[in-house]
Formats: sequence, C-alpha cells, structure tokens
Amino acid sequence: MGLLDGYTRAERGVVGFVVLLMLLLTYGLVTGGLGPTYFLYLIGLVGMYVLLSFGLNAQWGYTGLINFSVAAFFGIGAYGTALLSADSSPIAGDMLPVVGLFVGLLVAAIVAVVIGIPTLRLRTDYLAIASLGLAEVIRILVQNQRDYTNGSAGLRGIPGFFEGWPVLETFPQAMPTLIVERLVVTIPFVAEFGLFGFRLGPGFWQGLLNVSLVLVFVGVTYAMLRRVHRSPWGRVLRTIRADEDLAEALGKNTYAFKMQSFVLGSVIMALAGVFYAHLNLYVSPGDFEPINTFYVWIAVILGGSGSNRGAMFGGFVVIAIREGTRFLGDLLPAAFPTLGVPFTDLVVSFPALVENTYATVVSNFASTRLLAVGLIIILVMRFRPEGVLPPQRELIWPAATEGSDPGSEPGARAVSTDGSGANRGGETNE
Amino acid sequence: MSVLEYVANGLVFSSIIVLASIGLSLVYSIADFANFAHGDTMTVGAYGTLVTFGFVGGLGGTVLGLPYGFFVALVAGIVVAAVVAVVTQRLVYEPLDIGSIGLLITSIGVAFVYRALVRLGFGADPREYAVELQRPIEALLPYGIRMTVHDVAIVGSAALLVTGLHLLLQYTDLGRKMRAMADNPDLARVSGIRTGRIRIWTWLIGAGLAGAGGGFLGLYNNVGPRMGFDILLVVFAAVILGGIGSVYGAMLGGLLIGMIDQMTPILGDVGIPIGTEYSYAIAFVIMVAVLLVRPNGIAGEAGS
Repeated sequence: MGLLDGYTRAERGVVGFVVLLMLLLTYGLVTGGLGPTYFLYLIGLVGMYVLLSFGLNAQWGYTGLINFSVAAFFGIGAYGTALLSADSSPIAGDMLPVVGLFVGLLVAAIVAVVIGIPTLRLRTDYLAIASLGLAEVIRILVQNQRDYTNGSAGLRGIPGFFEGWPVLETFPQAMPTLIVERLVVTIPFVAEFGLFGFRLGPGFWQGLLNVSLVLVFVGVTYAMLRRVHRSPWGRVLRTIRADEDLAEALGKNTYAFKMQSFVLGSVIMALAGVFYAHLNLYVSPGDFEPINTFYVWIAVILGGSGSNRGAMFGGFVVIAIREGTRFLGDLLPAAFPTLGVPFTDLVVSFPALVENTYATVVSNFASTRLLAVGLIIILVMRFRPEGVLPPQRELIWPAATEGSDPGSEPGARAVSTDGSGANRGGETNE
Repeated sequence: MSVLEYVANGLVFSSIIVLASIGLSLVYSIADFANFAHGDTMTVGAYGTLVTFGFVGGLGGTVLGLPYGFFVALVAGIVVAAVVAVVTQRLVYEPLDIGSIGLLITSIGVAFVYRALVRLGFGADPREYAVELQRPIEALLPYGIRMTVHDVAIVGSAALLVTGLHLLLQYTDLGRKMRAMADNPDLARVSGIRTGRIRIWTWLIGAGLAGAGGGFLGLYNNVGPRMGFDILLVVFAAVILGGIGSVYGAMLGGLLIGMIDQMTPILGDVGIPIGTEYSYAIAFVIMVAVLLVRPNGIAGEAGS
C-alpha cells in the first residue's frame, strides 16, 4: 500500500474509482471507441461541474445556505456571455468573450444580491423553497422575453472563448492536422481488434484550449477558496453553519457574512456558466431547469459538504452518471442477453418480466439516469450523509499541526512552511 | 372574458391546489420537513387513477359527465398514492437520523425515483383519461362563464374531501390526536398518544389527498410524468401563504393561490403587460413576499 499510506479508506476508494474511470477512458481512446475531441469535451464538462460544486460549497458547505437556484446563476453566466458575444444575439452580439465573462459575472453578483436580500434572513428550509421559486421566475423570464433572450430557441453562434486573443484565436487552425492511422492487431487464433484511428484536427486543438481554460478557472478558484476558507472570514462562515446564534453572540453580523458567501458562490457558478457557453457554443432555457441544480447538489453532498476535494470527486461522478448512462445505452444489447439459450428452455414465467424490464430500462436511458440520480441521493443520505470525502484537513488550521509528527498531515503541512500561519491563527478578524 | 369566468376557473384550479396543499401542510407539521416528493406523489396518484380507469372505465352510469368507474379509479389512485407514501416513509425516511434539511434533500431523491419509475412504466408522453370531452354548461354561458360539468365534478369532489377532513380533524379521536401532535409532538407522546401510529395516518391522509389532487389535475390538464413536479412550487406557495403546518391555512392559501393564478389575465385587461405565461412566476413572487412580511403565513401564529 506504500503509495496510499496516510490516506483514509474512503480516500483510497475514491482514488481507485478515479483511476478505474481513467483506465476505462484510456481504453476507449486507444480502441477508437471514444474520439479524442469528445474526450476533451468530457473533461471540460467535469471542470464545469467542479466549478459549480465549488460555488455551492462556498454557500452550503461553508455557510450552510441551502441554495436551490444553482441553475439560475449558471444560466445567467451562460446567457450573460452568450448575449454579448453570439452573432444571433437579439441585444448586443459580436463582442469579445472576455467582455462577456466580466458582464456575466457582474450580472450574477447583482442578481445574487437582489435574491439574497429577501431570502437570506429566512429559515433554512424556507430559503430552499424561496430560492427554487426565484430561480424558476428567472427561467420563466428567459423563456418568455423573446425580444431580449431569443426565448425557447436559445442562442446559437457563440464564439470560442479565445476569439480576439492574439495567438490563441488562430491556434486551432494553425496547428497541423495529425492523422493517427488505424492499426489492426491480430493475435493468431485468439482475436483481431482495431487500435486508434482518428484525426486530430482544429476541433481537437480547440478542445485542448478549452480544457486548459477550465483548468485555469478551477485552479484559481480552488486556490482562492482554500485561502478564503482558512482565513478568519472562512472561520466565521463555519461558525455560522455550525451554530448561527453563537456567531451572533460573538458579535458577527451573520447576515452580511451570509450575503458575502452567497455572492461569492453565485459568481463562481456564473463562471461555470460562462465557460459552458463557450464550450457548448449554444445555450437554451433548458440550462435553467431545476434538475441542473440538483445535479450540482449531488456532486457536493456525495463528495462531502464543505470539502473542495469532495467537490472535485462529485464533479467526476456527475459526469460519469450523465455521460456514462448515454454510453451504456448504446453499448448494452437492446434485448436481454440469453447467452444463446432460448427462453423457452429457461424458467417460463419469470423471463418475460425480466426481459420487459430490461428492455424498458435499456431503451429509456433518460429515465434510468433520473432513477440512478434519485437512488444515489437516497443512499448517500442513508448511509453516508457526511459524503465520501468529508472535510478533514480543510478544517485544521495549518499552524495547529506545526511541529507535530511530520508526515501525518501532508495536506496541512504543505501550506504552513513559511511559519506565518501562527500569527494568523489568532482571532484577528477584520 | 368576464371576471366571473376567471373566478370560475380559479375555483376549479384552486380545488386541485387545496387538495395538494393540505397534504403537504399535514406532512410538514408532523414529519417536520419540506417534502419535495409531494408533487410526484400527485403524479403517482394520477397514474394510479389512469391505470385503474383502464380496467373499470365502463362501469355503471355517469354522474357529471364522468362514469362511475372514474370515481372508483380515483379512489384507487388515492390508495396507491397513500400506500406508496407510507412504504417510502417506512423504507426511506424512518431509518434516517439527519434532521429536517437532510430529510428535505432525501425527498428530492425520492421525487426523482417516483418520476423515473413512472416514466419507465408509462413513457414520457402525456396521456388523457378516456372520458368524453364536455362542452361548457349552456345555462352558465349567458353569465360569461365557460365551465364544463367535469369542472363542477372537480370542485364538488374536492369540497367533499375537504369537508370530510374537517370532520375527521374536529370530531374524531384520530383527528384530535393529529392536531395534538402537530401542536407539540413531545407533549402528545407523554400524554399517551402513540405518535408513530399517528404519523403513519398523517402520511396516509396527506398522500391520499395528494393522490386525489393528482387525479383531478389529470382530468383538468392531462397525465404526464412531470405534472406533479411542475405544480409543486405553486403548492408550496399556497402552503406558505396559508402558514406552514396549518391545515385550514393551507385551504385558504390554496384557494388564494389558485385564484391569483387564474386571475393573471386581468392584469393584461387593465393594461399591465404580463401574460398568463407568468402566472406561476407571480405565485412564486407572492410566496417570497409572504415569507418576508409574515414568515408564518396568514393563518400561522405570529412571531417565531
């Protein structure tokens, strides 16, 4: 176990899961079942969900705000940049995506304040219902204000994020098209299978750019959130989550802290939306559907509320559910596999039911996915409500482990080497 | 369209919302969490009605344009919704030990499972009960009211159910225990009330009423897997407006929200350019406004 010493069982399980998923994807890449361009698109989606989970984590995981309007802020980010940069945009159009980025984030911050003012004073379960209601109001507005949003048709013709940038704009076209020939490998008397066989054209290079972009977004957000979470500000948030009355008693203006956390999280969600618009090149009112909110909730709860590592893992799992079920639908045979034995030779009464159920489940993967999502929520809440990777090292102030047995807390030790952590450890808030 | 017609439409829609909101409010007061699966319980009831109606459709004569078989099917739908809810309570909610927010999130999972199973069993396309479409009642047309006898049946049946619940709550032993428990579960328990049993009854009655609401919603629009989820927030708006946990408040809230929803076109008539596509949005905004001004609703106790 040498490599994984110092990790909890859950962490080993997660590492195993991610490695397995990577192996599967690599297998798909090597055998040509999964195009490299699509693979990069998937990575981009994972990055997007990681961002969304980070945003929700800042609200729910840190502060305990139960926000059911994730999809609204995601949609605001996506529509914000799309309305400014798309050529089919009914209001502005053809502006630089970087402008769209800043406008999208700004609008999200403003809407967050507007939604936060009435709702953040509410009890937690009322906040859940109210935020879902206001998110629906936003969705209905986008769907019906055709003059401004193009209505249910959505927006097409969104440029890539790097349009208007000096070198990166033409990067995909400038790169050569690589052709990887298909190899047929024959193992005598055993099998014959194909390897590779794809072209790496502009689409691939564009995908590579997108992945780099989301990695930058995720990296910057992660670093910022980690810093913020460990700051005195972050500690007040954790106190509010644990016991709001206590935070009040300590003289903290909990409403202001909640608002800051709500706006911070919402802007991160909008950032994910901006990225999505330039990844997908198409946005529609469907992006505001409440189901998208609940996908993000799964990512956060499953990963472990309050833990950013957990949020990353959750992002992986959500994409595995969303895209994996699509693949399974194509891969699995439409009829129940009988292994060559005709049904009449098996037990007569039970196969018909099994066969029908199987056919229904395989041919309706949208419904099966919904079922899987529902079951995962129920099972996680039943058996591991704290999530797979609950916050551990995140909650330990670096200075606290200084001088203790080195190696026991690798995560915490890494950031406190400059020794200044000790000064910041005191109650020096604001 | 005349104001009278809006009132009539509002009455029909309100009947459905009232049935749903009473159930949601009952469960909220006794199980102590916002049950996001309530809308999908309505869907379950609607499909239970649909399937049973397929078997007993031709049964007997007709009353108010609906064959007797429809009412038999409706009862079946109520039973199906109630049984499904109690089984869910036993299997899912009871073993949990995670507080009301955890239960709320779990109920979202339950809602997805219900909806997915309905979609797997019946497909995603909307369906209709095999009942003859009715023309508006002639006698009401001169007053500018276009109302079918089916609408009358919905309002009448809902009134019957609500009256039944009222009698149950006020004049039976079970009703008194339920009210006691909604007020103060601990006090109820030390007074010798078997709260576990009352809780099951509450789920049965609450989900049963949701099932009835779903059955009528299917008659009002049509039957589809998303029908209950789409209306859930409207029902929450009604419950919050009336005051969470108060059954009579839920009735009042349901009536008001249903009316407001159907009155939206009046805004257009008086020059405010808001179309009917915003009727739900108006309900949600009202809900948030009520939470702000009076978090305990119009029938709830003052202060918190």
